[in-house]
Amino acid sequence: MLANALEFPVSATTPVRYPTILPIRNHSNSHCFTSLLLAAWLCLAGCAHEEVLLIEDTKYFEGDMPADFSGYWQRDYASSDNINQVLQNAYYALGRKNNRGRSGIPMASERDRSKLLPLARLVELITRTDELTISQTDHEILVERRDDFSLMCAFFDGVAKPIDSAFGKEVCGWDEDRLISVNDFPDGLRVIHQFQISADRKQLRVITTATSKTAPMPFTVSLYYWRIEKRPGRFACIETLSMKRVCSTGELTL
Amino acid sequence: MTVHVNCRLARATLMAFVVAAASPAALAQSAATLVAATSDGTALNVTIPVFDPGIPDDPSMFRELQVFPRIRRIEAKLMPFLLRETLVESEQWGAVRVTTKPDAAAELQLLGTIVRSDGEWLDLRIRAVDAAGYTWLDKVFSRQANDEPATPLGDKGMPEFQEIYTEIAVELAAVRDRIGEAAVSNIKGTSLMLYASELAPTAFSGYLEQIDDGTLRVLRLPARDDPMLIRIETIRNTEFLITDTVDAKFREFNTDLARTYRVWREYRRKVRDYEAWNTRFAEGEAGNAERGSWESIRHHYDAYKYDRITAQERDRLAVAFNTEVASTVDAMEKRVAELNGWVENGSREWHRLLEELYEVETTLPAQGN
Repeated sequence: MLANALEFPVSATTPVRYPTILPIRNHSNSHCFTSLLLAAWLCLAGCAHEEVLLIEDTKYFEGDMPADFSGYWQRDYASSDNINQVLQNAYYALGRKNNRGRSGIPMASERDRSKLLPLARLVELITRTDELTISQTDHEILVERRDDFSLMCAFFDGVAKPIDSAFGKEVCGWDEDRLISVNDFPDGLRVIHQFQISADRKQLRVITTATSKTAPMPFTVSLYYWRIEKRPGRFACIETLSMKRVCSTGELTL
Repeated sequence: MTVHVNCRLARATLMAFVVAAASPAALAQSAATLVAATSDGTALNVTIPVFDPGIPDDPSMFRELQVFPRIRRIEAKLMPFLLRETLVESEQWGAVRVTTKPDAAAELQLLGTIVRSDGEWLDLRIRAVDAAGYTWLDKVFSRQANDEPATPLGDKGMPEFQEIYTEIAVELAAVRDRIGEAAVSNIKGTSLMLYASELAPTAFSGYLEQIDDGTLRVLRLPARDDPMLIRIETIRNTEFLITDTVDAKFREFNTDLARTYRVWREYRRKVRDYEAWNTRFAEGEAGNAERGSWESIRHHYDAYKYDRITAQERDRLAVAFNTEVASTVDAMEKRVAELNGWVENGSREWHRLLEELYEVETTLPAQGN
């Protein structure tokens, strides 16, 4: 059990992430049902990988957004998963699956390893950033990540608005107070980010899962971030088009 | 006696309004250049209200359609000005005015809607309607930006789309040539009578007739020395002076924003280049790597990543553009609102005074007075 994760309303452990990437929830029956639905959907995503981005229930919310993630977040390395360890665990799980009924040390096949490794590398690449800047309005959440594109979740009248391009799809949804961002790419490649904030709003957990049609199992890491307060600088700055960034020590007017 | 006093009072008040309106130097200057054109009996005056920015009602469509509402609203003010400049340069028209709202009494009115303006394409719907209600043209003009960089100098907002304004001007001139002088004269008469009937309905409502197809026909015209008509013309010219001052504000606005708008278009052009690069990247050799391999996965992720970064950079630039021009736009809108408010207040007062004068002048004196 990770000590820093105790404030989360769900179990923070993610021991073996196959077949479900979702943490075990022990709330009400309805929560269990939602989780089961999501788990089933994610399993299906890994197997059949149909073009369903999110189950319909998660695409809507009523009233205010279920959670506020806005702020600056710094990676908590002590609490976060070690990606190499996660990979070893995954190999072990694959080995157990393959060696079922046989004696000896469970060993994943070379083929399985070579098919899972690219997913692990992708997850490592996209979770490399150690700082997240999240801004949130009534209908939009923007997660800025260094050296990567910003994840954007737009909701109009509580309905998720997907981003669809020739290169992929992006859509968000909610599972209770958990924000889920699903990115679909060609060849059945899919990346899912789940964001959840602790009750005291000081900690953020981001679970990132990559799946593909060719990989033997999804690959998931769970990362933790501490909220950091950035003091306002001595300069007030604004972005302009022709003058780029304009800063002043006093009130800034153009 | 009371009648005469009221009559004199009303006349004096009316003239005071008109003189007060015409006195500022700025109005006089613009009058000299623009209203002079109205004296040409054959040239039609053209009114171009600020375009409909074509912003979808559904905000969720903004990103998909690449519509930046505030920038669209600015373009809706800049583009009529560019069309106006083209029409003036063609020397085929009388005064060409950009106004903040449509004017049913305009001799020829050009109503524009921005259908698409994404840096690469400009689609403009233009509907030209004359005072008699005839539609001269109603079509979407479309142009793709040429590949040459935007002109670094000059105060025109978007020279690479100049062809669109030229095409509109050519088509309008062709219609004008077809309809002949009698029709032009009828339009001018209808325009004046429409304006007069709006301002003094009691005196002028009987001069026009609406026929079955919805167009208007002049039944008769008042005498040239009709005192009511002379007043109406004086008021109309005064209103033109105000409109020309608003128009001059648009000109200043255009000059102030042109540089920033050019930078915006330059960025839009760069974004288009990035988008083309993204497409080439996605179609590149790495895309053919073995399915599920690191090269293939990385390629798919990067293709999407570059596409999103390009789109997000475009959004960031739109915000930067808005920040930079906000104070200019606010100042312009405030000034134009003041001028419009003045015209609207004046119109109400002119309307009241004219009705009063008409009653005074047409009422027979009571017996014994």
